[in-house]
Amino acid sequence: GLGEKEGKGWKRFQSYKGEGALPKEAETLRIFVDRKAQTIILPMHGFAVPFHINTIKNASKNDEGDYTYLRINFQTPGQLAGKKDETPFEDPDATFVRSVTYRSLDGHRFDQISKQITDLKKEVNKREQQKKEMAD
Amino acid sequence: MAASQFDRIYHGLSTEVGKLRLAGSGMAWKGEENEGVSAIPADEIKWAQWFRAARNFQLRVGLKDRRRETFDGFVREDHDKLAALLKQHFGVTLELKDVTFKGWNWGVTDIQGHDLAFLVSNKTTFELPLKQVANSNIAGRTEVSLEFVPSSSAGKKASKNAPDEMVEIRFYVPGTHTKLRGSEA
Repeated sequence: GLGEKEGKGWKRFQSYKGEGALPKEAETLRIFVDRKAQTIILPMHGFAVPFHINTIKNASKNDEGDYTYLRINFQTPGQLAGKKDETPFEDPDATFVRSVTYRSLDGHRFDQISKQITDLKKEVNKREQQKKEMAD
Repeated sequence: MAASQFDRIYHGLSTEVGKLRLAGSGMAWKGEENEGVSAIPADEIKWAQWFRAARNFQLRVGLKDRRRETFDGFVREDHDKLAALLKQHFGVTLELKDVTFKGWNWGVTDIQGHDLAFLVSNKTTFELPLKQVANSNIAGRTEVSLEFVPSSSAGKKASKNAPDEMVEIRFYVPGTHTKLRGSEA
């Protein structure tokens, strides 16, 4: 069945079941952190593209002139992370989105988004850790 | 007249709303603020697509010279009326494009016409217009980056409420290195 095809240890997750579940904020064509769905929605040339927090590694921000740049890094195979690669992948041979960078004149907003992503990531990691401890 | 008109429609990625009207002679969008009109004559309309975009549903129209125009802001209920009008006036079938919202960052890239499409479970998640790619790079054999031409060109300052501008995307493409690596591996 499906389970056999999936990479070892990979647990299924999904942001939205269908288009009707997309939050209204996606319409602004701006990055939106949907905490309830554990998802970051990225605007890409008119598309609203959700990325589940499990796919996200971190976010980094830097200022350059009038603009603030926000880079969102994703979990992909083949990254020399230093520590042992524990992240299981459904299909390690697929093509992965590794990072996406945005710029905005509103540095304050990018500050907030960066913080929201970091917080959501922490929250999810903590929960995972608790689950693991319970299982032990 | 009103029967073939749609209100609060965006043209392209602009943040200005307007009205889109369809008639036997073609289709025309008129902005509410600037009153600018974009018209497409009937004989230039070759195909039409419908899919869920960020600003609700999008109508994408393919033109004779391979250009295309996009209109956002349709609601689901507009589909049937729009499909009927496109058929009636231009003899074009409104084709449905399946978009997925799974939230996965892995899939397949596919060149579709002038776009690079990213498919997850055989459904579209996003498309990037290759025309707007300013630069591309391959790093370490498995990473491909695409840089985009900023939409707000130099000198013309965007407002604080402007959409976020995507300037770069990087893909990890593991399949490409297996054959190339050879002796170096």
